[in-house]
This record gives sequence, C-alpha cells and structure tokens, in this order.
Amino acid sequence: MNATPKALEAEYAELAIQTQQETQALATETTLLNPRFYTTDFDEMDRIDVTPVRAEWDKLIDQMRSDPNKAHFKKNAEWDADWDGMEPKLKREFIDFLVSSCTAEFSGCVLYKEMKRRGNNPDICELFNFMARDEARHAGFINDALREAGVAVNLGFLTKAKKYTYFRPKFIYYATYLSEKIGYARYITIFRHLEANPDQRFHPIFKWFREWCNDEFSHGEAFALLMRTDPKLTQSFANKLWIRFFLTAVYSTMYVRDHARPEFHKALGVDIEWYDQEVFRKTSVIARQVFPVELDIDHKRWLPNLRRMRDAFGLMDEGKKQGGLAGWIKAKRGAVIAAATFVSLYTIPVIRSEPPKNVRLEPAY
Amino acid sequence: MGIFSRYAEEVPCTVEVSHRFESLHAHVRFNNGAVIYPGDEVLVHGKPILAAYGELIVEDRQATITRASALERLWTRMTGDFGFMELCEFSFSDEVTL
Repeated sequence: MNATPKALEAEYAELAIQTQQETQALATETTLLNPRFYTTDFDEMDRIDVTPVRAEWDKLIDQMRSDPNKAHFKKNAEWDADWDGMEPKLKREFIDFLVSSCTAEFSGCVLYKEMKRRGNNPDICELFNFMARDEARHAGFINDALREAGVAVNLGFLTKAKKYTYFRPKFIYYATYLSEKIGYARYITIFRHLEANPDQRFHPIFKWFREWCNDEFSHGEAFALLMRTDPKLTQSFANKLWIRFFLTAVYSTMYVRDHARPEFHKALGVDIEWYDQEVFRKTSVIARQVFPVELDIDHKRWLPNLRRMRDAFGLMDEGKKQGGLAGWIKAKRGAVIAAATFVSLYTIPVIRSEPPKNVRLEPAY
Repeated sequence: MGIFSRYAEEVPCTVEVSHRFESLHAHVRFNNGAVIYPGDEVLVHGKPILAAYGELIVEDRQATITRASALERLWTRMTGDFGFMELCEFSFSDEVTL
C-alpha cells in the first residue's frame, strides 16, 4: 500500500485507539446479554376484552401511567457500594445474581415491547408499554451496578441470527404472572430480612428492593386481571392441571437454582431453604387471587423431594462435566431421578380455594 | 410457504439500542410491518451495534427474515410451550454449580 505520511499517521492513531480499547476491554469482563425472542397468537390477544374487569383495569393502568417509581431508580448518598472489599467467592455469586436479574428484566422488556408493537388492542398495548418501560429501567439500574464491578454488558446480540419461539397466550399469562409475583416475594423477603439485619446488607442495591418490587407486584396484578377476563383460563379441568404443573416446575426450579449460590445467601445471613419456603408461602397466598389451586408446601413429601431434586440436578451437572460414557450414564441417572421426583411433587394433593370476587390486591408484605 | 422449504425475505428495519442508566433495551422494528411467525429466523445485517455506556443508537438497517417451512412452524407451535421456564428466569442462572 502506498500510504502518504498523513494517512500513515492517521492509521497509527487509529491503531493506538484500538489498542487502548482492547486494554479497556481486558480490564472489564464483558457479558453478552442473550435474550430470547418470542411470538404468540397475537390475534387471540387482540380479542381480549377487559370489559368484565374494566373498573379495576382502569385503576391499575392509571396507577402505571402515573409512574410512581419514576424517581426511585436514582443513585443517592445511600449508594455505598464496596466491591473491592468483597470476598471473591461472594463477588462471583453476586455478579451472577445481578447478571441473571439483568437478563430477566431485559428479556421481559423485549417480550412486552414485542407484544405492544404487534397487538392492535389499545388496552393491551398500553399495558405492555408500561411494563416494558419498567423492565428497561430495572435492567438499566442493575447494569449500572454491574459496571461498578467492572462487568460490561454487550448488546451486540441483535446482529446475530435469532429464532423466534412460540408460546400460547395462556402460557405467557401463567408464566409471567408467577414470575412477577415470585419476583415480588423474593425481593420483599430479602428487603425485610435486611431491614431487621442491616449489618448483613453487603451491597446497597438491596435498599432499593421495596419500591422496586412494587413494580413486579403491579405487573402481576395486570396478568391476574387478564386471566379474569376469561374464566376458562383458570377454571377448566385441563387448565387447573396446567397451573399445578407451572407451580411445581417453577417452585422446584427456584429451589435448585438458589442452592447454586451458597456464598450469596450466607453473606445475607439467609438459610436458603427457609428463604425459599418463605417465598413460596407469600406467592401462594397472593396467587389465591386468581389460581383455584395451591401447592401444599407443608406436606411431608414436599421438602424431601425438593432436596432429592437438587441432588438429581447435581448429578446431571457432574455427569455433564465429567463427560465420557460414565459421565453420560451419571447424567441420565440424574435425569431419571429428577423426572420421578417431579412426578412425586406433582401428585402431592393440592389445596383448593375459590378465588375472591374482587381480584385486586395491594402489596402487603 | 412450502411444507419443507424455507425462503428468505429482505426487509428494511430500524434498530434501537439504549445503553443508558435510565433504560437498557434493544429492539428491532420492521419498517414494512412484516410479521414474524413461529420458527422464523431474523438476522439484522451489518456490524454489531455496540452502544457505549450512556449511548442511544437508532439506526436503519436491512434484515433477512428466513421463513420457517410449514412443518417447522407446526413443530415450533407444538413444542414451544415446553420452553416456558425461560419466561420465569427471575434471577436464576443456568448453572447448578457456579
């Protein structure tokens, strides 16, 4: 290449910038956010008619429109993060906690925005617009906390090929309803615990959890109202079995996954089993607003099977890491135990109740 | 749409990536109103959009939508529901042991 000195200079300057960027890139750990993309039966969603719950619906939407948490997600003098003083193992688990929370909020935002954009039903579009706003705000807040720890998120996933997965609308209602209400129960349980034990609050983000989880709570309320627009969704025989299935799958997954973060819970001074049972209890009480069945978490088969499930997942994980034929057999054995354990959990008799006439609840914990 | 065959469609789109404190989000909008069906694949052309912290990038790009075959679409509709746990990823990580 026949470069003039000027062009060479420019090239060197560019190189210098590149090297600088590379060094910065090395100094920070980069996490590629990888949300999934969904599609659903948008025509079915367009046909939703909120008339039967109109009064409650309008009240909830008004509350979301007023955006009570607008000023909440700001850092102030209360934000006293000390990443350097954090024990490495705890730091690792806490970062994992933040990254997965951020991904969850981010994916929620993508899903809600997609539904807003594709729908033609003004009530539904307005709701999803507010929920997408909240999720993006939460994701931004967590992202900022991660930045302080030297973790940068990469949003470059957009230019990678993405396959769209399909969910029937009712599956989205059950799953997101539960996810929002459990999210509320998880956040508020940690918040109340740290309120009583402030010395165990190892990062300031927990101070923001109370107002934060009110967003999750009201998103859950919206899905509760949506489910009330069509009684079949919660009352038909098949759907009751689905709800039971969802509750069992979600609760047991939470139990298994929480046990993957022992240091995180130890630092908070929280016994994982106690915490999970507490979250299940709160979620079950709240979910009576719309679900006619509730899992019996005090049943004698409940906790022993959850522990068995955790061990079975441990076995699968070990087998996968080990590799080879022996590893494969170990992983399969884990999978068989997990499946049998799931059946055992699923068949624990449920507690039945009649959902109240008035569906709306306010956060009370 | 063939039973087994896929076909590709080029569509103009607008991408919006926000890497700001007040909002972390990334969206693609198809400018011609194209609709995505189960099993379709979307690829936005060009270099990765890397928004630095504090940046909001809105760009017009081209995208390829690879339409799923009828069979794939049916399959995605039938099996998609089983991935519902993804929707419940409230601060779970995929790892059982970290």
